[in-house]
Amino acid sequence: MNELHNEERLIEACRQGDRESFRQLFELHKDRVWSIALHFIGEEAAARDITQQVFLKLFTAINHFRGEAGFSTWLYRMTVNACLDEQRRRRRFLSLDIFRTDDERNPMEKQRAREVEQATRQLAQEDHHSQLELSAAVKSAVRQLKPKLRIAILLKYFEGLSYEEMASVLGCSAGTVASRLNRGHRELARKLQHLRSGIETGK
Amino acid sequence: MFGNHVHKQLSAYLHGELSAQDARRMADHLRNCARCHAKFEEIEFGAQMAGRLEREQAPDDLWDGLELAISSHRRGAKTAEVSGFTWSPLKVGLASVLVLAIAVLASTYFRRQPEQPLPDNRPTWDVTRLDGRPSIGKQRIAEKGKLPLGEWLTTDETSRAQISVGQIGEVKIEPNSRVQLVEAQEDNHRLAMQRGKMEAFIWAPPRKFFVQTPSALAVDLGCSYTLEVAEDGTSLLHVTMGWVAFEWQTRESFVPAEAKCVTRPRLGPGTPYFADATAEFQAALTQFDTGSADSLDVILASARKRDALTLWHLLSRTENDARGKVFDRLAQLIPPPEKVTRTGVLGNDRVMFDLWWKELGLGDTEWWRMWKGDLPTQSR
Repeated sequence: MNELHNEERLIEACRQGDRESFRQLFELHKDRVWSIALHFIGEEAAARDITQQVFLKLFTAINHFRGEAGFSTWLYRMTVNACLDEQRRRRRFLSLDIFRTDDERNPMEKQRAREVEQATRQLAQEDHHSQLELSAAVKSAVRQLKPKLRIAILLKYFEGLSYEEMASVLGCSAGTVASRLNRGHRELARKLQHLRSGIETGK
Repeated sequence: MFGNHVHKQLSAYLHGELSAQDARRMADHLRNCARCHAKFEEIEFGAQMAGRLEREQAPDDLWDGLELAISSHRRGAKTAEVSGFTWSPLKVGLASVLVLAIAVLASTYFRRQPEQPLPDNRPTWDVTRLDGRPSIGKQRIAEKGKLPLGEWLTTDETSRAQISVGQIGEVKIEPNSRVQLVEAQEDNHRLAMQRGKMEAFIWAPPRKFFVQTPSALAVDLGCSYTLEVAEDGTSLLHVTMGWVAFEWQTRESFVPAEAKCVTRPRLGPGTPYFADATAEFQAALTQFDTGSADSLDVILASARKRDALTLWHLLSRTENDARGKVFDRLAQLIPPPEKVTRTGVLGNDRVMFDLWWKELGLGDTEWWRMWKGDLPTQSR
């Protein structure tokens, strides 16, 4: 409750143009915006741009925040939009793909697929699973998900949002959220199938 | 509800998003349907994997770029405020039609073009392509480009670029690097280097050009040097002419030509050393700078006369008995002047530190403490 009150106070101070309050608001939320952006795009440089864009937009638009939705929901929505915009921008630059062969197409995804294979193969060869390597394999598999599935997984597992909250952020129904998470889980399970037996025996 | 198979509701069931009644029905169905049970185990495994994702900490220097963007934004807003333009109903109407037309045209060509938050009235530095296709922001440059305040210059594995630092110098940016223009004022030319390698040649008076790295601030004191920043923020400075200071909080390192210095995240600038120091000396110094006090004896035993530069820095990085050892070894290599006593140095007398420095033949402390006077000359 205190945190909520503190956040309201900071937002009000930001509306008055108080830079220090904005800094505090930034400190409160920077890790969540950064984490979503980093895991969505998979590159630090782009995550940096997205995070700065989100907070700059927040700074310039905070007077328009009316509080009907929660502040976090508003922030998540801006973050999701910035991530999807970046994804679309990248897709535009990949439009020459139609002239390429399957092997040449989308090298980034091929590279990620190779990363997952490499990580899982390495893990399968070892008797015990290093937490660090497992984490790398999961991150890489998440990055291979389709954008809509990926963002749903990130919002659920980084932020622990309910389906209703996610629906509000993503502008869709709770049923659509359920469907995207379902597909996301299934894709992850398939991509990380090689780890399954090792992890289940290690339970 | 669950007479048929229940694949689409499995994640909602797992996350406790179903009503109590639906959850009970789901549980019953899963007990009796091997196919759905297998699907549920697959979903459960996917969720278990996703649950391993952990929130990451944002980089410490994110705020710097944001603050700059906010300042630029505010300057842009102020310019608009003082322009004296007034809005009549006719102007509003015409403007609305124009804006609408532009919006329609733009949306036809660019679906949700990402916003460009920074205005274009920012100061810029000239950039020349040396190899490959370096980028400024999201745009690749052909032969020449302008690096605006707050923007990033990025090189990939095949590209290089040269930045003109206002009127005071040049910086070559090597492959796989990323630098941001942070300040472009007459007395404060500043880049932030996130990763990669740069080669700087500055002909301005000292303290006009700065490079922020993730672990320290490199202050140019009139010189030429290379600076490499690794992905983890560790930086290596190698001065080829003149002097550079590395600063972080209250810690400083002064690095003359032919010397190097490593700076590490959360530890700040390490102890400078001459590049021709023995491998044993350098290895022991690395251990000392990363927290192993035991390596001090190796440093002292393998120090040459020229390594007095390193030993002098160690005086202020040791205490009590360890400082006494450094004093004794430094005194063997470069005898202290008359007014410098062991007791005074052990008592952290800064005047004595400075007096001893003058004996090293690396210039006057006044020059690098006060940033004035002529460049020091070097002697071996």
